[in-house]
Amino acid sequence: MKKLLLASAIAAACGPGFVSADIRINGFANLTAGFTTSENVDGAGNTTDLFGYDDNVDFSNGSLFAIQISGDVNEKVTATAQLLARGENDYEADFEWAYLTYSVNDNFSVNAGRLRLPLFRYSASSDVGYSFHWAQTPFSVYDVPFTNLDGLRLDYTNNIGDWDYTLQLGSGTYTSEIGGGVADGEDVLLITAEATYESFKARLVYGQSNTTFTEPTTDAAFAQLAQISPVLADKIALRDDSGTFTGLGLEYDNFTWFVSGEITKVTGGESFSADDNAYFVTMGTRIGKFTPSITYEARDGVEDLKFLEDIAALPAQFQPAATQIVVGFQNFFYEDYALTTVGLRYDLDSQVALKFDVSSYENKIQDALDATLVRIAVNYVF
Amino acid sequence: MLFKKITLCAAFLLTSSLAFAELTVIVNPSNTNDLDAKKVQRLFLGKDKKFPDGSEVLAVNLTADSSTRNNFDEKILGRNSSQVSAYWSKLVFTGKGIPPKEVSSDAEVIDLVSKNPSVIGYVDSSSLIDGVKVIKL
Repeated sequence: MKKLLLASAIAAACGPGFVSADIRINGFANLTAGFTTSENVDGAGNTTDLFGYDDNVDFSNGSLFAIQISGDVNEKVTATAQLLARGENDYEADFEWAYLTYSVNDNFSVNAGRLRLPLFRYSASSDVGYSFHWAQTPFSVYDVPFTNLDGLRLDYTNNIGDWDYTLQLGSGTYTSEIGGGVADGEDVLLITAEATYESFKARLVYGQSNTTFTEPTTDAAFAQLAQISPVLADKIALRDDSGTFTGLGLEYDNFTWFVSGEITKVTGGESFSADDNAYFVTMGTRIGKFTPSITYEARDGVEDLKFLEDIAALPAQFQPAATQIVVGFQNFFYEDYALTTVGLRYDLDSQVALKFDVSSYENKIQDALDATLVRIAVNYVF
Repeated sequence: MLFKKITLCAAFLLTSSLAFAELTVIVNPSNTNDLDAKKVQRLFLGKDKKFPDGSEVLAVNLTADSSTRNNFDEKILGRNSSQVSAYWSKLVFTGKGIPPKEVSSDAEVIDLVSKNPSVIGYVDSSSLIDGVKVIKL
């Protein structure tokens, strides 16, 4: 009885974050305005965008609003749902996450439903602008077509002396829309290990999945190729191909200054998709309410053309058509770029942060696409 | 001139009172756990969910607008209140943790601590502390 009274007393005394002791409502919002300082025109004279931004000020790309509701079903089970509306999707609200957590004990929990894949240092909070110093997380590393998992995740947290560590194991499937098509991942398996010692943090990730990418133009081209060579068409298509994800993250943050970085490798198995190697290094300092920082990031998604021997083995009259498709698709998906970002975060109070980031983008495939990106953001949490 | 002297004096008093604002961490008198600054930090960051004797912990914070809270964040948690808030925003939106409940006055903290053996809180040392046990850090 006493406990119950206390619970309601605390609930009554608490801020807007608590409706009752059993249901917690939290939320976050990012309003990001961004633009490139000049029009982006590629070598062929086509106007293009840079991560969704062009020379007109855009307010929707990096903007979002979200509400998270979690409630205790009983002492062991918690239900969590996060409803998120992204500006890039016309603020249509979607259940980003919906899962049940079964706490076996203080150290071990089992989560089931739709949840975030723990790929990166800021995976879980990559939509919560307030939780990091950039306007947005580095594109080259964080922009991957698999962020959420439908399935199970086991979390184990403990400490050995002053070392805190977390082990996570995820398994299930994912679906995401990318490049006008759909990427599906089956048999996803992901293992993450993270260790923290005072100001130092390290994490290691390894994952694999069987990936399929479908998109009308791509599918039609590969169907055409299949008429020439079904074997080659099957090789170049990303269809139930075994892909892997490997990541390493290091961080030192003593609250006065910090330096951190992540390096990742994504492979797409036997398909048109080249392996992506990406990394970022960031450092900054906290001076009162200001956090100036500098970040260098790069993605290298170019490798030697694949399947040329397969084309050479085809009858001569089919080689030009096959080359066009096989080489064309590989070229189209190549990426090789770097960004240097100078940023400033200002903590308005313990719930609101303002950001100002200027990035210099260098496209290593087409110099003409080099650009300067400016982003101004307001991040809010409650 | 006199005015200048008064403002100078007031400014001095203000800064000295800020500098001397001391914290007191308090628990229920029935709590016999041996706690140090590091343990208190772990409890308020949600890294440990139980006292060393295995009993449940209910950490109670002051709201972020309180100078005692800012002082606690800086001295015990080793970061400013915005950084503490950013820390929790990472955990809350992963379902990995729930930040300590917040109350708006020392009196409420003392009241909660005195009534429940699980509660740990902190107040300005100048607050009247009756019915609670002071943790020496």
